[in-house]
This record gives sequence, C-alpha cells and structure tokens, in this order.
Amino acid sequence: MLTVPTTCPFCACGCGFYLLANKGELVGVAPSETHPVSRGRLCARGWGAHEAPLWGTRLREPLVKRNGRLEPVSWAEALDHVTGRIKGLIEAGKSVGVLGSPRATNEENYLAGKLARAGLETNDVDFSYHSICRPLLAGLEEVTGEYGCSISLDDIELSETIVLIEGDLAKTHPRAAFSVMKAVEKGARLAAIGYARTQMARLSSLYLQTVPGGEGEVINGLLAGVLHASLEDRTSATAHCEGYEALRRDLTAVKATKEMHRAAEWIARAERATFLIPPTSAQGDQLRKDAAAFVTLAAITGHLGRPGSGLLMLLGRSNVRGACDMGVAPDRLPGYQPFYDGRAQQRLQGLWGKKLPSAQGLDAESLLQSVSGLIVLADDPPSVLPMRQQALAAMERMEYIVVLDAFVTPTVRAAHVALPIASFAETEGTLTSMEGRVQRVRAITDPPGEARTGWQVLAELCARFEVSASYSSATDVLREIAQAAPRYAGIGQQMLEEGWGGTLDEDFDTGKRVLHAAGVTAQTSPERPHLLAWDGVFDWGRDPLISFSPTLSRDYQSQRKLFPHGFVEMCPQDADELGMRPGWQVKLTSLRGAAVVPIQVRTDLTPGVLLVPYAFREHVAKVLGVERLTAVKAERA
Amino acid sequence: MQPIVYTIEKPDIAKWLERLLETAEVIAPVAGYSGEVVFSAISSPAQVLWDFENPLHPAKQFVLPQTDPIVAIKRNGQRHEVEPIYDDSRRVLFNVRSCDVKGIAFLTRMQEMEPADGSYLRRAYSLTVISLTCNTPCPLGFCVCTDSGPFLNGDYDIQLTDLGGKYLAEVGSEKGEAAVSNAANLFRTATEGEVSLRKRLETAARNRFGQETCHFASAMRRISTGRVQDALWEKISDWCLECGGCSLICPTCYCFSVRDRARDGNWIRYRIWDSCQYTAFTLEASGHNPHEQRKDRIKRRFFHKVSAQYYMRDGTVGCVGCGRCIKVCLGTADMPAVVAAIRKGKWHE
Repeated sequence: MLTVPTTCPFCACGCGFYLLANKGELVGVAPSETHPVSRGRLCARGWGAHEAPLWGTRLREPLVKRNGRLEPVSWAEALDHVTGRIKGLIEAGKSVGVLGSPRATNEENYLAGKLARAGLETNDVDFSYHSICRPLLAGLEEVTGEYGCSISLDDIELSETIVLIEGDLAKTHPRAAFSVMKAVEKGARLAAIGYARTQMARLSSLYLQTVPGGEGEVINGLLAGVLHASLEDRTSATAHCEGYEALRRDLTAVKATKEMHRAAEWIARAERATFLIPPTSAQGDQLRKDAAAFVTLAAITGHLGRPGSGLLMLLGRSNVRGACDMGVAPDRLPGYQPFYDGRAQQRLQGLWGKKLPSAQGLDAESLLQSVSGLIVLADDPPSVLPMRQQALAAMERMEYIVVLDAFVTPTVRAAHVALPIASFAETEGTLTSMEGRVQRVRAITDPPGEARTGWQVLAELCARFEVSASYSSATDVLREIAQAAPRYAGIGQQMLEEGWGGTLDEDFDTGKRVLHAAGVTAQTSPERPHLLAWDGVFDWGRDPLISFSPTLSRDYQSQRKLFPHGFVEMCPQDADELGMRPGWQVKLTSLRGAAVVPIQVRTDLTPGVLLVPYAFREHVAKVLGVERLTAVKAERA
Repeated sequence: MQPIVYTIEKPDIAKWLERLLETAEVIAPVAGYSGEVVFSAISSPAQVLWDFENPLHPAKQFVLPQTDPIVAIKRNGQRHEVEPIYDDSRRVLFNVRSCDVKGIAFLTRMQEMEPADGSYLRRAYSLTVISLTCNTPCPLGFCVCTDSGPFLNGDYDIQLTDLGGKYLAEVGSEKGEAAVSNAANLFRTATEGEVSLRKRLETAARNRFGQETCHFASAMRRISTGRVQDALWEKISDWCLECGGCSLICPTCYCFSVRDRARDGNWIRYRIWDSCQYTAFTLEASGHNPHEQRKDRIKRRFFHKVSAQYYMRDGTVGCVGCGRCIKVCLGTADMPAVVAAIRKGKWHE
C-alpha cells in the first residue's frame, strides 16, 4: 500500500489528506491529523476524492477529430496538429484564446498564461468560473485594494460574532461550516443572511431572511444599523477610510429593522468578528456592490486588519485563488497585477524574453463568442458558464479547439484535438486555497494510458510557440512563478520546511479603505410576483456529491436519472397557492420567455422564491435569458 | 483455547519480526509523513513503533479495504462468467491496539453470518493479529465502556504487554501459536509473577482513563424502547455535516456499495466503503428513499449501534471505544456525544 499526502481538489477550503494506492491503482483516502486545515476531518467530497480519478470517464490517449469522430493518434502527431493549426489561424490574422482552470494547479495555470501572453501574444486568457467570482473579488478590491482573505478558517472558531451570507455553507464549504458550528457551540452569535432556512440558518442566533439578490438590502440595513446607533469604530472609519461621509449620506434614508439593529450591535461590540461571503445569485455589478458593502461593514466596525477578525471569500473551486494569482485573467498578469502595470510588465518581459501584448483581453464569456481558436486547460465552459447552450453553440462555431483534460467533458467532446493529462492524483504541483495556503498535490499513480502531466504538455506547447520553457519538474515551474509573482517568492522554502505547504503573506493592515453601500434594485412586480433564481452559491448546486464536470460522480448520475426534465424548488405555501404537488409541471413566464418544468417542494425556502439547481439551469434558460435571477409569473401548467 | 503465556525479551523482538517477515507481509504502525502514525507494511523491524497513539485510519482497512475487487465478470460468447476474486495472502497485523482487534473480530462475526462473505473471510482468516495492550489509555478512547480494551481476554492471535525489559505474549489462537513456534527459541513460558504483573498493569490502565465516557446501558434502554423523541434526532442532525467520516472510520462499520469497472473488455466488480449517513445510501431504484431525512439516517445509525435488538444479535454494542469518530466528526455528533444525548434526552442544552 502506498500512502501519499495531498491537497483536496474540490472547494477552496484547502483540506489535506493521504491518497492510498495498491498495485498502481487508487484505493482510498485516509485522513491526516497533522494537516493544518483539516486535522483529520474531511467532508464527503474529501472522503471520496479518490473516486473521481478512479471511476471518472478518463481521457487515455491523444485524440484528433476526423470526420466528426475523435480518433486516437500519437502524441507527436497531436502536438504537430495543434502547432500547425494554431499557427495557421494566427497567420491568417484570426484570434486564439486560452482558458485556464480553477481545478488545475498553479504550475499548469501559470504555463497556460505564459503560453497565451508570450506564445500567442494575446491577453485573451481567462477561466469560466471567473465570470461567477470576479465581481466578488472586485468588490473586495474596491474597498481594500487587495483581493485575498484576511483571516483563516481557524479564526472563525474564535469569533464572537459571525456574519454569513448564506447560500448553503454546510453543503458548499463543509470545512468552513464546521468552524462556524464550533464557534456557535462555544457561544458565538451567528447572523445568517439568506433566502432559505438552511442548516446554518437554523444554527444561527439571527436569521435575516431575504430573497435571491436581496442580500445587498440587508447589508445596507446592517450598515445603517451601525451608523444610526453610532456604533462604528470612529478611528477606523475616519482615519483609515475614504468615503465615510458619503456612506452616511447614502444610508440616511435606509431603515434598519429591529433584528438588523441587534446584529449591528453584535458586530460592533465583538472583539473578534468574521464575515463570510460566497458568490450570491446577484447579477455581476450588483454582486460587486454587495461585496463592497459587506467589506465596508467589516471596515467601519474596525474588523479589517484586526488579528482574528476579518473577511473570508468562499470560493467554489480549489484553485480559484491560484488561477487569479497566476494571471489567468484578461486584465491581470501573474501576481494579479493589472496588465498595464509597467513594473510587472518589465519583470515578465525580462523573465519570458518576449514583449507582452498591450491590448486588454476578453473575459471567458466574450472570448468564447469572438475567438476562432481556443486552447482549453481543464476548463469546461458549458458546465460552468451560466449559458450552457450559448457556450456549446459558440464552441461549435469555432474553427479549432484544443483541450487538455483528465476527464471527458462536454468541452472535450466539442474539441478538435483532446490531449490527455494527469488528474490531481497523478501530477505534481500546488493549489492556493482561499486562506492563501499554497499546498502540494502529489502523484500517487501513473496517469492512465498515454496521458502526461499537464505542466509537461504545456511546457512542450510553449516551446513549440518559441517560448522558453525547459523545466525538469513542477518545482522548477514554481521557482519561475516565484519570480513572476513576487508574493510566491518565499513559498518554495516554506514547502521544504513545513511539509504540507506554505502561506502567502496577506497585507491587510495598511492601506486606505474606500467605503461603499450596496446598490439595491427591486426585482418582482405585481404581474410577476415570484423570483426565479439559480442556486448560484456553488455552481454545481447544493448536492455535496454532485459532479462539476465528471470529476466527482457519486449521486450525480442518480439525480440526472431521477429528474430528466430538471426541476425548480418552491416552498409549500407557494405550491398550495398554485394547487400543486411535487412532480407537477409549473409554467414560468418572464419578460424574456416561458418554460414548463416540474416542481419540488422544499420547506425551508422563502415564499415567492423559486430555485433551480445549477445543473438543471438549461431547463429554464428561456425564462432566465442571460440573467441569474428574474421575476416570473408561476402558474400550473 | 486457553491462552498460553510466554515472554520475549525486548532485544529479541527484532529477530522475531524478521522471522515473521520471511513468510508474510507485516503491517504495523510506523511514523508516516510529518511524524503522523499510520499503518503500513514494513520492510525492517526498526520501523515498528512501540510508543504511539492509535493511527486515525483504522486497521479494518486490511480486512475490508476501501476499494476492493471482489468479482471478475468475463464475456464468453453469449454468456457471462462470474468468478470471485480472493485475496488470501498471508499478513501479520503487528502492534494493533485492543480496540482494533475487537473491531476486526466484530466484522468477522458479522461476515460469518449466513450468507457468509467468502471474499472477506478468506482475507480475514489469512491474517494474524498481534496486538499491544495499552498501559496508558489514549486521550479520547473509552474502550472500558465497550469491553474492548485496554487489555483483552480474547479475539487476538497474540496479545503483547510491555512489562519493562520484556513483553508478555498471550497466545489466543492456533494462528498465534504458529507465529510463536516459528521463532520458538526466542520465547519462554511466562512466570506467575509476570502474569500477575500484567494483571496489575491492566488495573492501573483501567484507572487511568481520560475525559471520554460513554454510558451505553441507559442509552440502550431508551433507544430500544422507542423513548427517544424525533425532535432530538432533528436537533442532532443540524450538528452533522453528513461527511460520513464516522462510519468510514468506525472499526465496526462494514456497509458497502459495489461498482463495476471495465478493463480490457471484461469487468471487475469492486466493493467500496459506503456510509449510511449519505442521502443516497438507501435510495431505491424507484426513486423512493426510506431515509431521505438526515435525522432518520442518524437515528438508524445509532439504533444499529446501540439498541438492545442489535446487542442481542451481535453480542456487543457496535462501538469499540476507539474515539476515532470524535477526531473525524465534521460536526459535533460523535458517539459519546450522541449517546449522552440519548441518555439525557437533551442536545446542546
């Protein structure tokens, strides 16, 4: 039996465990008591982490599409094909973009970015999940000038007050939910803002009920509660923050409810308070404003930069943070520095020996609509982007798509060339958790069939596009990352000393905060009294075992089989009013269009809210259009 | 069989282990990554730990692996041939703790019930279990409450006790006798004084237990007679995150699922660990799920573990007091906490 310590590839909490293999085959997962994040406690996904590489549908050999079918070829042939066709597109003046991935390692993402900027000379590089979390990061950056987190999961446990924008933390980030639970057990006050009386809401001292997209209103209420009762930390609010007077002005008309006043008082009086925010179902710009207002709440109550107090962004994938840090973004270079930043450009030009492209690139959604060629690293736009059909159609129109993936995804099926790479259990590299821990994944078995490690394939592609990329190991790539993204400079050494990994330095103590209130827009109307939203907290829905791409498969299949027509969830009161029972068809009509879907009844949901699991969003695509939530009229079909 | 009691001098242990290594794979607690104690096959006696806290991943993995091929399915013309896969390679589990010995004995009793599970049993019967008693109980263990430690009166092949300069070796089975006779020159029959020292050590260890206790008897009375309110299960269920860790890690849990894997045109059917705490555990093909709600699944789990109905059948509660569920629980619903809740009818109050 072989035992190898590694990092969980699922959410961004950054738990660690041992993978177990026997005779070259994965056989299980064993918890580790010494891991600084998980300490032996894993969620269902962690316990089943070996299942994805073992049972998932794996890509085993390079494939090239001929007569509409993907056929096996040699690596040399596949790589020649890719080089020839991509160069042909570029010579013809057509654009080629690159997609990285929050489930790929830092090393892979870094090389994908390098390939795009130095090899293809474009800033058209992004990852699909970025479209979900970008507004959140932007909101944080707007207030603090930083986009990292200022606390660790352990800090939650020591908090007196926790403010949680609740999607369904217990399902999406069980390790974080555990910390909240432990804090509540010790007597902490939990204020949960959400639209369903979820497990965390039931454990809360105060459940601030709202509707999808209504989180901003509650945050404004809390801000008003703080300001109206003069509970703010005057020193922080005036000396370190800009926009204090404007904030007061913006909030004079906002009424805080009794509960909001209570929560505001808990926040202001707490020695240690933590603020947890996932991507909500609010639309892009509104999510950014909600996030900024939420950070503002932490800032004016003096909880930003105070040890043990602060904010945690609940990111949905293991390496969102890393993909951003590696510059897999159209407007950011490694280190998440703006692409126009002179010093960063110079540093990279020195390192890569190439001049960087000067025009800002396109984000994942726009990129799909406009490029002719696409190189995809372990991303799957149809599964991740809100508009599944549009993404599929866009990929169908494209002249050339190359996909590097360990699993057979819808994107692989649409590709012209598929290159098999190692899964997290077969490669070396690092992942950066939401706390800023840079931790190793390690190979325990060989990749299946002809598959190679992703960093090797990307280095080979870089070389074929005249970019220097001679690395003898993933650690070599990490060394180069340390030069490209200065914050990663000390990581290599920490890895050697601490075993499980190192931690990025977060600098939250200095710098001006710029305060913002949330923008609030009304959604429903008398004609369309219901609010339809996708369960957007986690793009793969509330089911803890549901797959994102085919990388975690238990249960997922059964859900799909059980509900071939998808479903929307509603509360019993709404079902009664419509005279409906579970399984019956509801007709949903919005300004954009209509759809008929079966319903499921869920007792913990706020009346008037209809939720559609992310995996079933295509069934209501006509109603939602490009929106994440919309007002609808619901009637029995 | 009546235990035969030997002693072996500490310096001779390495020689004995070398003898054992000649004929079998020897698995023992060793220092793993970052100093963590894990069970692993050894290649040298020096790897074996003697002063250690029980590894978190239980020894049951060596009789009931997390992923275990059990059947080969081959295509033969129009027919399918099904062949069982057995693993009866000889293994020695060395320096396991009493709780894990009891756990394996429990699993074997369950699998011997008709219909007997040949795949499990062939592997278990090829395993020699050599345990090390706990002169000092581990901080979270409560094996005194489950009659599964710190010293055992049976279920082991050999039970070692640290007597200072030597180990007492109580032989409890023919497999154990064979493991000793393999190196008979290293052992001598124990004196009465040595046997009584072991008894004194056991008493001392029993008096040294830590904070965790688990009063099964009164909990059993309540749960067996339906005196646990549904509302209590509902409350408990809010403090569980459905990770399944408690059952995966439990030395006495053996529920599994099966899954097929295609290989060269044939299939291998694997047994994989499953947890009764997962929603889909009892999901039926029709879509009906008798235990759809978490409170029902938790209730079901503790009924199986603690009720008199199962106690009568299994001869013990479904717990060996190892304390692992306290360490892995991604919530607060571990065995001692829930047993206390059943007993008091209160949760977090």
